[in-house]
Amino acid sequence: MTSTTHGPEEVQDQEVRTLLEERASRLRGRSDGSADETMLMVAEFPLGEERYAIPLESLRAALPLRLVTPVPLSQPHVIGVLRYQGQVLAALSLAALLGGHGWRQDPAVLLVVERGDGELCALDCEAIPRPLSLPTASVEAARTHVEGPVTEILLSSNRQIIHLIDLPRLFARGAGARNAG
Amino acid sequence: MLQSLVAGFSSEAQEVCQKVTLDLLELEREGLDIEALSKVYTRLARHLHTLKGSAASLGLQDLSSIAHKLEDALAPLRKDIKPMPRPMVDMLLHGLDLFMLRAQAHAEGRGESLPDPTAALAQLVADAPPPEEAAGGTAAGAAPAHAPAPSAAPMQAAASQAAASMAEEDTGDAGWRVAAHQVTALMREVERLREFRMRLEDRLRDVSKAVELLTARELLAPTARARAVLASVTAGVRSDGHEASDIVDSLEEGLKSITTRPVRTILEPLQRMVRDLSRQLGKQARLSVVGAEVSLDRRLLEKLKGAMVHLLRNAVDHGIEMPDERERAGKHHEGALTLRVEQQGNILILELSDDGRGIDVVVVRASAERKGLITADEGSRMHEAQVRDLIFRPGFSTRTDVTDTSGRGVGLDAVRSAVESMQGRIEVVSTKGSGTRFMLTVPMELGSSPVLTVRTIDSQVGLPMLAVESTQLATPENLRIGRMKTQLDYNGQLVPVVDLGARLGLRASAPPSEGQPLIIVQSGGKRMALAVDAVVGDRDLVIRPLPAEVRDVPSYQGAAILSRGELLLILRPGWVVADSTPQTVAMPQSRRALVVDDSLTARALHRAMLEAGGFTVHLAASGARAMERLQTETYDVIICDLEMEEMNGTELVAKLRSQPGTREIPVILVSANDSAGARSRGLSAGADGFLSKRECAAGRLLSEVLDVMSRRGARA
Repeated sequence: MTSTTHGPEEVQDQEVRTLLEERASRLRGRSDGSADETMLMVAEFPLGEERYAIPLESLRAALPLRLVTPVPLSQPHVIGVLRYQGQVLAALSLAALLGGHGWRQDPAVLLVVERGDGELCALDCEAIPRPLSLPTASVEAARTHVEGPVTEILLSSNRQIIHLIDLPRLFARGAGARNAG
Repeated sequence: MLQSLVAGFSSEAQEVCQKVTLDLLELEREGLDIEALSKVYTRLARHLHTLKGSAASLGLQDLSSIAHKLEDALAPLRKDIKPMPRPMVDMLLHGLDLFMLRAQAHAEGRGESLPDPTAALAQLVADAPPPEEAAGGTAAGAAPAHAPAPSAAPMQAAASQAAASMAEEDTGDAGWRVAAHQVTALMREVERLREFRMRLEDRLRDVSKAVELLTARELLAPTARARAVLASVTAGVRSDGHEASDIVDSLEEGLKSITTRPVRTILEPLQRMVRDLSRQLGKQARLSVVGAEVSLDRRLLEKLKGAMVHLLRNAVDHGIEMPDERERAGKHHEGALTLRVEQQGNILILELSDDGRGIDVVVVRASAERKGLITADEGSRMHEAQVRDLIFRPGFSTRTDVTDTSGRGVGLDAVRSAVESMQGRIEVVSTKGSGTRFMLTVPMELGSSPVLTVRTIDSQVGLPMLAVESTQLATPENLRIGRMKTQLDYNGQLVPVVDLGARLGLRASAPPSEGQPLIIVQSGGKRMALAVDAVVGDRDLVIRPLPAEVRDVPSYQGAAILSRGELLLILRPGWVVADSTPQTVAMPQSRRALVVDDSLTARALHRAMLEAGGFTVHLAASGARAMERLQTETYDVIICDLEMEEMNGTELVAKLRSQPGTREIPVILVSANDSAGARSRGLSAGADGFLSKRECAAGRLLSEVLDVMSRRGARA
């Protein structure tokens, strides 16, 4: 994605236009006989200069980032703890977990996700994610070349790269995942 | 015969057998006087008689015969009271095992397929020492060992008595069979009710505040009626609230009594196990239990039982020495095993210690290398605690041979897995030649417990009230302030004083100021005076376990949900009282950075980046907090957000530059605003660098930090 110096509203308009174009493109594609192609539904969101996504089935909720209690002496990637449906969840910095360096604006959203081991946790995020469908075949093909928790998927419609996060792998890496990169 | 009666009998018999076991272990002990021994013998005889009568009443002749033989064996010993010889204890315990196995089989409806007990009984009698020997030679000519079978009349009386008791159980309080998840769900609802009650209290406070606003002079007259109505409603709701509290307490107590049982129910059989195993290995050992009356969730108890069996077998087999070896080492020939059970808030502490040979780290290291768990190089780089931790690795064993008891490398790893599956922790400390102590801490999920809420800087944390001994204020008279440490004169004893903010790494350590609250915390026999900024109050709170990502932080044992949905971290008393170097001087050799940002997520990310770059990082949520930290700490660099509510980044930089102590510290301003104007304002205020969030995202933070530090260094 190219970086420009547009204001936030203009950027949002542009993103909406892109989203609508993608939908239209997908609908057009279906009429061309690709309706049988299985798709992976993902929740897509920005992280710094890049676009990331998690499988929609792992996403439990998107919450405003508030009422998070900091936990002094915890690991650097731990933002704090919060209450979610009577449970205590950890809020984690996704950028720190992925070894990233930052974001364009301070995260305002927490994504409650299933870690893959039955437990839930919350990941910070700059904006509410958007639903997106990725061709399962492309995802599987890309995954065969990757050992880490992030798979790069090239969208044929707009040549944009989506970094698909494999949550079980991300959390299985444990401490090794932190500060990587 | 009703099968339900047999099942009831089996469970009742199990309890009686446990009592008989404890009596037998007591009779075996040295050092009891005649009177005490006599009482135990009498009780034992009564228990055996109960077993015989109850079994006969249900037509379980095999069980009645076994109990009868045991009574026969006991009879001569009651004539000349003295400690029971070990072979006799062995025989009686063996007889009890036989009784219980058959009782269990009857309860499960397998009674018909049981083998004839005659052979087993004959063997049992053959194993018993002759009566005169059992009675210490004084029973010669006494009543025959094998008394005739009880006459029909007393048998019938006993039978009718037992049958009556069974019938009473059947009709009076038959009980329900309820799934654990149903009870847990009910308890969750009670917990929610308690949280709801707490919210109600807060809403009432809000109403009171609103009423107070209406008492402004110009509103006084027009709102008089409304205020009167509100006052009456408030009083009514408050009274309802009190009633709701009573109901919640009573519901919680009721549910607890259903879901819990005393720890002693799993500990008593363990005492028997220790005795049998040490006999089998030619050793002598005794298990003492402290705190056996603590009641716990039944499911938790079942899981803990397995862990306890492993630890005790391990202690007897590996820890306790042979009697002659112990005597040579100046110890009592009988090894002492102590199990201490303590509940602190929602945490259960189980501590098992022995006075055996302790863990030899050299042997452990060599065994781990031999078994391929570590390389020689890894072993040489490990410190003692890490080596000791190897005993929890799967496949670890110091034995070179496999015995009935150990050597298969299965044991402590299973214990650790079991404890971790309960979201608990296990630690081990050991001194070679003196003994070993295993400490298990396991969260207890159900129910509420009293918590004292305290504040340090702007963070509130809770302390389980069970660990709080008292509260007092710091005065020049009660404090002893030294160069290295501060102590409190507490009831004539000097108790170390520690600042909570410093322990949590939120500020530098300093002696308490006059009037500052000090909380006397005790845990595991240690005391500490914890200096806090304010005592907020105490409440009954439901403490929930922490998520996996913070479970290993030793400072906390859980978190409680407060009325508005926010969480209160609950401190672990064991951590509070532990000796520790203040966090603020943890890495004196590394470069130190202060991150000032009112965004939690930004603080977390900058910290992660800088720590990855080798910095020790402190955090401040505002400019004012940063200035506070700078009064006692020095930093190599400050990373500060430009837009903050209280004091923005340029104001903080201006303040830093105006003070001699902070004038030279390199400062980098970070902002989401990438405009030239913002950059220029920041730099002209005196910042050494300016980064947009976009530049941070591109990985520029660490290089910019190093760059400004080097530029400042060059100028200096």
